[in-house]
Amino acid sequence: MTYPLISTATVGHEFGPYDVTISSNTAKIYTKAIGGIESPNYGDSQAPLILVAVALTKLIDELGLFSGGLQTIHAGQEVSWIRPVKIGEKIDARGKLAGNSIRGNNRFATVKVSYNDETGTEVGSSSTTIIVSSEHA
Amino acid sequence: MTHSIGDKLSGFKREITQERVNSYASASGDHNPIHLDAAYAATTQFGTRIAHGMLSLALVTEMLAINFPNTWYSGGNLKVRFSAPVISGETVKIYGEITDITKTNVGLIATCSIGCEKPDGTDAVVGQATVPLE
Repeated sequence: MTYPLISTATVGHEFGPYDVTISSNTAKIYTKAIGGIESPNYGDSQAPLILVAVALTKLIDELGLFSGGLQTIHAGQEVSWIRPVKIGEKIDARGKLAGNSIRGNNRFATVKVSYNDETGTEVGSSSTTIIVSSEHA
Repeated sequence: MTHSIGDKLSGFKREITQERVNSYASASGDHNPIHLDAAYAATTQFGTRIAHGMLSLALVTEMLAINFPNTWYSGGNLKVRFSAPVISGETVKIYGEITDITKTNVGLIATCSIGCEKPDGTDAVVGQATVPLE
């Protein structure tokens, strides 16, 4: 039996780097998803949360949460942003498992992610907490 | 713009249509069938398709960008928990309030309670943000 990475990864396990550069087309689709008449004009920048969302999708995939049909809950999210990011600007996301434990019938995993530009300078960070039903993980 | 403790942030209501959920899946790459496949979603604990939690959070950050256009993306922080799913088709209310303003060595920092409220009055997303003031 193959276990998903979330069942075996230890604290400190590193993920990525993932290329989370957002194309103009993706930015348009994102605006279509969340935008409204109240939405701010970002100009040639983008809403940074799309970077977090794309990184999260890649993390969930690497953790094996898509392929195994696991019952997961996105329980918590932290985001810090240092500067605006332009559409098309190359950004890499690097994750690190900050917590992975069983409590009760559930597994709690926390992954911290740093977002860096081409010079290696951090432009933002995030922390995601996921709960997985332990009978599956 | 001046800000004071107790100020309500300019919020808004938004219908989370399935079209929005589909677009969000395309943009984020998260094609989990619980968001997209009605037949699959019917077999889950929710019984129907639900929106991505990050979509609801994106709306909350829109509100922060509207209220703090020059500073939210340059030093803003948030911490939230996802307390209930938003069902496709529901209209949510995005809200916030300044609960504290602190003078720091980098200037004034506003602390805000923030959230995304479902039609039944329960919160789908709830938490706190800190934003530098100009």
